[in-house]
Amino acid sequence: MPALAALGVLALAACSGGSSGTQATGSSTGGAQAGGQTITVWHYFSDPNQVALMDKYAQLFEAAHPGDKVVNTYVPYDQMDSKVVAAAGSKTGPDVVVFNGAEAATIVLGGGLLPLDDYLSAYPDKAQLPPSTLHVVNGKTYAVQGYVNLLGLWYNKDILDKIGVQPPTTMAELETDMQKAKDAGYGGITLSGLPNSQGEWQAYPWITDAGFTYDNLDQSALANGFTRIQNWVKKGWLSQEATTWDQTVPFQTFAAGNVAFAENGNWQMATAKANAKFAYGVVPLPISSTAGIYLGGEGEGIGTYSKNPQLAWDYLTSSYLAPDGQLAAASLVGSLPSRLDVAKNSQVTSDALLTPFATEIATVGAAYPSAKIPPAGVAAVQTAMGQAWSAVIGGQQSPQDAAAAAIQAVKKASNG
Amino acid sequence: MSAPAAPVARQGGRSGGTATRGTDARTPARYRRRPQKRLVFLLPAAVFLAALSVYPLIQLVRMAFSAVTAATLNSSWVWTGLTNIRTGWASGQTQQAIVRTVVFVVIVTALGMALGLGGAIALRTRGRWSGILLAVMVFVWALPPVVNGSVWKFLLGSNGLVNTLLLDLHLRQTPAPFLYSQYWALGSVAFVSSFAVIPFNALVYRAALLNIEPEVFEAAAIDGANKWQEIRHIMTPAVRPTTLVLLVLTIVYGFRGFDFIYVMTYGGPGTATNTLPFLGYLQAFVRYDFGLGASTSILAVLGVLVLAVVYARSIRREEADR
Repeated sequence: MPALAALGVLALAACSGGSSGTQATGSSTGGAQAGGQTITVWHYFSDPNQVALMDKYAQLFEAAHPGDKVVNTYVPYDQMDSKVVAAAGSKTGPDVVVFNGAEAATIVLGGGLLPLDDYLSAYPDKAQLPPSTLHVVNGKTYAVQGYVNLLGLWYNKDILDKIGVQPPTTMAELETDMQKAKDAGYGGITLSGLPNSQGEWQAYPWITDAGFTYDNLDQSALANGFTRIQNWVKKGWLSQEATTWDQTVPFQTFAAGNVAFAENGNWQMATAKANAKFAYGVVPLPISSTAGIYLGGEGEGIGTYSKNPQLAWDYLTSSYLAPDGQLAAASLVGSLPSRLDVAKNSQVTSDALLTPFATEIATVGAAYPSAKIPPAGVAAVQTAMGQAWSAVIGGQQSPQDAAAAAIQAVKKASNG
Repeated sequence: MSAPAAPVARQGGRSGGTATRGTDARTPARYRRRPQKRLVFLLPAAVFLAALSVYPLIQLVRMAFSAVTAATLNSSWVWTGLTNIRTGWASGQTQQAIVRTVVFVVIVTALGMALGLGGAIALRTRGRWSGILLAVMVFVWALPPVVNGSVWKFLLGSNGLVNTLLLDLHLRQTPAPFLYSQYWALGSVAFVSSFAVIPFNALVYRAALLNIEPEVFEAAAIDGANKWQEIRHIMTPAVRPTTLVLLVLTIVYGFRGFDFIYVMTYGGPGTATNTLPFLGYLQAFVRYDFGLGASTSILAVLGVLVLAVVYARSIRREEADR
């Protein structure tokens, strides 16, 4: 039956006409040497800094396990879950899966991950891992997180100096600053309006600032949040083109130097350092204390059909969960360590760019995805909300219609 | 003459003189077995076709009438009849996707056929420039859709080449929202999709045009026909059989349109470019409702199957006419 399922998925893929597949990245590691064992890691990173981090993890593991090798394999972001599930159907798959933590339930329900409870019970540093960084589905832990990622407000200090303002701390200040930036010939803000989970991730702070949560499903509050963002487009602060941008493009646009603000993540630090030819900084998103910013990041789990699950766990503990690995993620990519002890390391606490993100974690950090959404409905809710977000930015729907459609889709997904 | 002799004569006729050996008593039986031997050579292709096309198609149909999610994909599928189809229609997304698919196919077909024929007429003559243009067209045709789509996404962006030209030439005051307006996006993606099919159509049309005897054009020139009359009275009738085949192929290509939407708009803004193939993709591989995605994809498959039958019949008719 699993083989039949895999063929069914193949047929469906043929109907969609999708192209691409897996391809080996330029990992520093190769195949296994004679006598050594190989750990296969599936990931979706293409950014050079993130690829460098994967190579660093491989080096850490290989240093701890001489003779064993890591093979990092790139899988496109939006194909990761289906490929892991399809591989599990044919009783194959990687040793380690690095995936969007919010989608853990999808892979777990598809039989793609092994429970980690036994490994975690025997792990001496388990107390250093906060519960919010462990992905639990139906009472079992299936993935860990080596770091936390979240959104903040990046600003172009050169532009703010020219228009004579300080980084905003309230929504009113942000909107005033964007108008001043526009009057001076600059763009106001960049963000992603893509109609998928990335759009929903970026929308969440603004719609929760308007009073919406997945607990209350307040349609008028959601419409108010959408109205605000549509006004940003109408006033020329935000480009309608955001509907075609994933999270990488808006930051590249910001880094080009003609936009005052960017709603983007801590993982963009290396990109900013490499590309921005102006003074820049980060402040917490100017949202209310009752609003939320998702605490995201990749989940790391062991594939159900890993040939050597114990060695795969050793890979995780010597890379993602090791203090050296977490500090490497902070320095190479700008990720916030998930271990409590490493989060207090001076390398992290003395970083002016990381501090605002750490503040957000403490004040407005929100579980991603919302615990209110049942595991099987997460993907449908994220897609529906992302489409609504995109529709109001692109002007396809009024804020009221988009909110009504999104609420209806969320209710349907939540009720199964 | 007895009945067995007839096949011998026919086979002998085809193989050029082997009929003289037909006097051997064993020969008729050997020749009668030959068709079965030929079938053996078809076997590998048939096996591949059954394994990689027919069987997955059967699974797709099963999936469309079953409840299949990420949780149940690798276990037994519960038969739910028309539930998936009803769910798709009740959401209204299927109907909207059908309308968008039809618009998309019409644009792709119209532009692909017209510009394909135009390109073939321009390339009919042999020479250096037509050779260079031909090479460029083959390059465009061979370009992976992801690369092609990414380049066009860049060209059609607010700061892309097309908008820069429009602004510099004062044809517009603001950038044209090619990919992010609900009114422009579908047309823009359809245009790019047709751009990718033009080289193929032009090459096929060119082959048909090259079959026209030069004497026909010489006679037309003697009679005083101008270029337009040559196109209307000589070329267009000559490529009519090719047009029918190409029309079917282009419509099928349009129905399958997915890559450019995936790369350029991801179905957006909102749902403005959600055609049937892309909606099926979202349902199956983003929401992981494989049953619902299969039921949507079945609609696209049905459209393609109907056209495949038309294509097969037109091919058979064309061969019969030769």
